[in-house]
Amino acid sequence: MTVLFRRSEMHSLAAPYALDALEPREHQRFEKHLKRCDSCAAEVRLLREDAVRLAWNTAAPAPAAMRNRVLMAVRTTPQEAAPGQTALGPQPHPRAAQQPLPGMRAQRPRPSRLHGLLSPLAATTAAAALVVAALFGVQASRTQDQLDQERTQAREIANILAAPDAAASAGQVANGQSINVVASASERAAVVTPAGLGRPTNGRVHQLWLMRPEVQPRSLGLFDGDTPLLATDLNPDATSLAVTVEPQGGSPQPTSAPVVQLALNSVGFGE
Amino acid sequence: MQADELLVLVAKGDQKAFEDLYGLVSGPVFGLVRRVVRDPAQSEEVAQEVLLELWRSAARYDPGRGSALAWVLTLAHRRAVDRVRSARAAGEREMREAQRASGPAFDQVAEEVEAGLEREWVRRCLDRLTALQRQSVTLAYYDGYTYREVAERLSLPLGTVKTRMRDGLTRLRECLGGAV
Ligand SMILES: [Zn+2]
Repeated sequence: MTVLFRRSEMHSLAAPYALDALEPREHQRFEKHLKRCDSCAAEVRLLREDAVRLAWNTAAPAPAAMRNRVLMAVRTTPQEAAPGQTALGPQPHPRAAQQPLPGMRAQRPRPSRLHGLLSPLAATTAAAALVVAALFGVQASRTQDQLDQERTQAREIANILAAPDAAASAGQVANGQSINVVASASERAAVVTPAGLGRPTNGRVHQLWLMRPEVQPRSLGLFDGDTPLLATDLNPDATSLAVTVEPQGGSPQPTSAPVVQLALNSVGFGE
Repeated sequence: MQADELLVLVAKGDQKAFEDLYGLVSGPVFGLVRRVVRDPAQSEEVAQEVLLELWRSAARYDPGRGSALAWVLTLAHRRAVDRVRSARAAGEREMREAQRASGPAFDQVAEEVEAGLEREWVRRCLDRLTALQRQSVTLAYYDGYTYREVAERLSLPLGTVKTRMRDGLTRLRECLGGAV
């Protein structure tokens, strides 16, 4: 549908906009108009608050199981940087916020291009799909190779999160740097998400290690910003995870003391 | 702690603050989404996505531009409306209408869950609107219809619907302004 508005007509869309009652094209056009029209911007701010009052009489207790799913998902989901700041992790695609996030049930038709990515996950838990959607739903356009790689990684992450013995733990140190881990001893795998690690200076990198008793640390890979690392083939006797700062490209063995260390006994590893 | 302060901590990656925020907003978010989406399973999905989106994009919240709860509910409403529209577009409408006819009326369900003062005020104030104001506002906000669809359903010109929406919201503000 082609709809052309005169400027005076744009002003009249403030109320339908505040009620989310514009069609997508009008919605976009009005948002553009809002940037240039102070009186509409002021009116929308007021009308939005009015519209929210209509939600006063709809509150209802959320299903109890939802809480765990969301809190679990949060542990492995990177955050966006504040507007104007540089993101540490993957930058969300600007359009992503306007698109409905992919949900959990694959049988329902979805407008999203992620349909193909998520449909193999139909059998896994809601939390898993939620996390995967969050990890991969917000990134900018990628090549087919990257998509294939992500699809594989997404499936493995979903498997870990869906494992009956999946458990979560977070390591925290004084300066706010930490890692979050969701691990499954039965799958011998973990999803490790950095939080607040940032990037070391001078091209150095954060390297993740698996620590075992009386064995050399084993490298589990290099962090790329706040993007989670998938660690597989974990030894059942593993005692902890450690992060060190290493020269570009990483090291065969740690060359410095860990900046973060996280014990694995609470997530089912170690004797 | 208030939702406003919690959101600021959440933006810094504070998971404990997120748990507290969840306690404050999950009920309002879930209730609003269910009111719009109606199907319980889909409502849960959308509410989860909204709550996770709060975690991801907490940094976008600007305390200078309104209350945190308003920001959260605006986001929840937007996502709920998106869902109900794509479901309608996908031809699930008949199914939903059938469910609606057979299940208990939604208002009744909500009433059993919580009967607060605010709930009562909103109802009373909605009753004070003219029928056209009330229908224009509620068909859009609670049922997720666009103003064009509202105009069609009420057999009114587009301009009239836009005006009724605006007047309805303004009158609601006057009525509720003194309530809380
Ligand atoms: Zn304007």
